[in-house]
Amino acid sequence: MATAESVYRPSTPALSAPAALGSAGGIVTEILWVAYRSLRKLSRSPFLLFFTLMMPIIWLGMFSQTFGTVFDRAASGPGQAPLAYNYIAVLLPGIAVMSAIQSAAQSGFSMVSDIETGFMDKFLVAPISRASVLLGKTLADGVRMAAQTAIVLAIAFLFCVAFGWKIPFATGVAGDAMIVVLTAAFGVAFAGLSNSVALFTKRTETTMLVSFTLTFPLLFLSTAMLPYDLLPGWVQTFSKYNPVSYVATASRTLILTGWNWTEIGQAFLAVAIVAVLLYSLAVFAFRRQTA
Amino acid sequence: MSAALAAARSSGTPAEPMIDVTGLVKVYGGNGDDAGAGVVRAVDGIDFHVDRGEFFGFLGPNGSGKTTTIKILTTLLRPTGGTVRVGGLDVVRDPREVRKMLGYAGQSIGVDGDLTGRENLRLIGHLYHLPGSVVRDRVEELLEVLQLTEAADRPAGTYSGGMRRRLDLGSGLVHHPPLLFLDEPTTGLDPQTRNAVWEYLRALHRTERMTIFLTTQYMEEADQLCQRLAIMDHGRIVAAGSPPELKAGIGADLITIRLPQDEGFEASRARALALAQGVPDVSGVVEFDQGVTMRAGHGGATLVEVLRRLEADRIRVNEVAVAPPTLDQVFLQHTGREMRVEEVRPTSSGPWARHRRD
Repeated sequence: MATAESVYRPSTPALSAPAALGSAGGIVTEILWVAYRSLRKLSRSPFLLFFTLMMPIIWLGMFSQTFGTVFDRAASGPGQAPLAYNYIAVLLPGIAVMSAIQSAAQSGFSMVSDIETGFMDKFLVAPISRASVLLGKTLADGVRMAAQTAIVLAIAFLFCVAFGWKIPFATGVAGDAMIVVLTAAFGVAFAGLSNSVALFTKRTETTMLVSFTLTFPLLFLSTAMLPYDLLPGWVQTFSKYNPVSYVATASRTLILTGWNWTEIGQAFLAVAIVAVLLYSLAVFAFRRQTA
Repeated sequence: MSAALAAARSSGTPAEPMIDVTGLVKVYGGNGDDAGAGVVRAVDGIDFHVDRGEFFGFLGPNGSGKTTTIKILTTLLRPTGGTVRVGGLDVVRDPREVRKMLGYAGQSIGVDGDLTGRENLRLIGHLYHLPGSVVRDRVEELLEVLQLTEAADRPAGTYSGGMRRRLDLGSGLVHHPPLLFLDEPTTGLDPQTRNAVWEYLRALHRTERMTIFLTTQYMEEADQLCQRLAIMDHGRIVAAGSPPELKAGIGADLITIRLPQDEGFEASRARALALAQGVPDVSGVVEFDQGVTMRAGHGGATLVEVLRRLEADRIRVNEVAVAPPTLDQVFLQHTGREMRVEEVRPTSSGPWARHRRD
């Protein structure tokens, strides 16, 4: 830097900017910019992006191959006609919700990383709502989850065409879109947990541990992997209180039989309850940290 | 624009200081947080103010409470007690309005390594709800000023330490804040980059009439930049004033007289010692291996008198030096300790750090 005058010569008038600042900037704008930043980051990590999108396909292949024959035997009793669809059709919504839960469990990592790098302070000194930071981040995760679900549905459809997998897709593209929305909505709601843990502990390890510990019981003690009728008694009881069940069941019906608005309504209600509980916790955690 | 913000910007309201702090206390661990860690009074009842347009500094070692104070002033932490007004607004009651008028560059550089330099700055601009065209122009201007235009489209993760520091500084300036907070802005920088940052800060202060609050553990930095500073130690302000005032408070320049190392050295030194002790204004005369040193209230005038007497007594002098007191001596006098700079790079900051006090 040569002389002082060449160092700093503002061309934009100093008073123009704050005038605009005073206008009521909507919380929506804030959320969108925070989300944009998260997605930009994701796009800069090609490996992360690749495995994020491929993960559900790996799940799908693994589970369908391992449990497929067992399911066929269990679902069609002796003397009954073979089912009109493969286990994969039953499993598909389960895999979608499982991937969403996995992504939700990791959602808090970026919170911890922003705290550690000091970037969080940039958000906190800006005149934006704390909730915008939280919602922007989880919205970006929601976009990721929606992409995961859409991809796994598309791949499953391609396999139907290419390898003769039997998946009814009873409600077509509109039903698939509903599954994408429902799954991503649940994932975003559940991300409130990992963000709460992240804000309380400020540690990636703890966040990972708590989220993953809860992930598997939530999945397996639900109707995500098997329909309600095939679950053991006590798991049936638990699954009735497990929000994952409502999302999985509603999605499954969309694939196997058709539109069931009662199930869809119940699923969204379950999502809303989870969201309200976990986001209250997360917002409390956020406030507590800056006390 | 809110009335307070307008007031904060207008330079013609000398009545209220830009920052006004009374009885500020911050206690960590007092309300069940971090069980096991003791209660720590990071800031222990401090009062100070910063005038509009002033370049003000907090000087102190690690753990003295500087960073805690800056975090409270920037609304990142809530005070345990006392009142803090920034731009005429209470930071606890009106944090959102306070945030609008301040820029902040923290100790742990808050730059997103995945985003490019340009994207980093633009994001901040949008978070302040500036219109898109204003953000674009302002960001290009800052990139140029901070000499980052060439690197603007590279991810910030590939930047050198100095570049990251400049980018971070830029992100505190996107919205033209009338008040800028800098937490150890040159810690970890090489001397050349440090000088460049100083030059830039001086220019910023002069041309934008910006009020700048800076914390540092470098004596030289405080001395070079700050019009007024407060010396912090163990959560308290132990001394405050302009650097010359603080040094004048020591009340003495250091005079060093070196004598020729010949066979008469011992005798000359003993006579020089006795003569110097007889000069008014001289105190604390001591011998050392090359001659004598002493303290004097008015170094220059007193030195002439000392030399006159030595010459009258035919004592040959090899070399003389007068050094004004340094901030090191000021710190030493007020704390009884020498200030050591510890180059610790924190990985976490402020409200999130576990037990860090500074």
